[in-house]
Amino acid sequence: MALIDKICTWQRLEDKDREEVMENIASHEDWKSCFSELAPGLLLFARQWVHSAADAEDIVQEAFVKFWRRNHNIDNRPLLYAAVRSIALDFIRRDVRRARREAAVFAETESAADPQFELDDDTQSALAAAVDSLPCDQREVLVLKIWNELTFNEIARALGISQNTAASRYRYALSNLKKSLQPQ
Amino acid sequence: MNDFAELENELRKLRPALASPFLFGRIEEAMDCMANGRRGDPARQPERSPHNWLSLGFGLAAAAVLVLFAVVKIQWQRERPQTIAKTSPTSETIPALNAIENSNSPSKFIPAGATQVVYNARDEGLHLPDGLERPVRRVRYQTQQTWRWRDRETGASLRVSYPTEDVVLIPVSGQ
Repeated sequence: MALIDKICTWQRLEDKDREEVMENIASHEDWKSCFSELAPGLLLFARQWVHSAADAEDIVQEAFVKFWRRNHNIDNRPLLYAAVRSIALDFIRRDVRRARREAAVFAETESAADPQFELDDDTQSALAAAVDSLPCDQREVLVLKIWNELTFNEIARALGISQNTAASRYRYALSNLKKSLQPQ
Repeated sequence: MNDFAELENELRKLRPALASPFLFGRIEEAMDCMANGRRGDPARQPERSPHNWLSLGFGLAAAAVLVLFAVVKIQWQRERPQTIAKTSPTSETIPALNAIENSNSPSKFIPAGATQVVYNARDEGLHLPDGLERPVRRVRYQTQQTWRWRDRETGASLRVSYPTEDVVLIPVSGQ
């Protein structure tokens, strides 16, 4: 009879699993609305590590599908950005030679790289260039704060740093931008 | 932070580059793969079932029950006197099924059927066992017995299947 009891427990878990599957099917269409809202910010965030828009899209695709498969809940955004960051770093480590080659090409022909922003005028071009020249740790906080609208708490969770560090890096980023945009 | 309010507004006016339309198609394909449980690239692999350990435990428990059945059956056959015997499938399955039917278990599994398939019968010729005056023909049957239970409420079913071997001694009458 103990065996039968075990089977009943197993059966209950199966029912729960079935509910999760049904939930997944119901939310299967919701990803489009979520992704259309988040995609530009996610791609911009991924572009911090790769120069090609296609590579950034690969990274975002992998991260978003993994995130959606495991969470089905867009409220936990720090996890999504952490996934993008982790996959981007793996991407770089996976193919170091390719990354070096891309970096060299990027350094030589900076204008040939895919633009990160849709620019309307020269002022915006200067601002985008200034953002691009920020140190990496400041730029990623800025990107998460401005174009992904994460709170400092969420940024801290996404990057694995303290909330104070996130706020501090953001202030440094703005300060550096202001300095670089001031007329000489 | 107010010192930077104007700069923040300017930054917010910068619009990140949009995703290519192909990206949506690729993600849709990956989501479909995920929903259908097909294997794709690492991003599209279905999540490992959290019930693997449970299934393993269930399998081990079922195996333990089978071993217990086998030991009890062997013990029973050893203790049985060497007389003319014929093993009937119903004589073994029905008491066990009745026992489950009459049990006070909170489970709702009820017997749904029992089958015995003879997949091999071997005539081992005439023998003269001790204590018997007449020779007997010994026939060895190898069978597969299957019991099934079903929970009508949830539709779950349990099937236990195990091999058996029966030896039948048939008296031979002299012509």
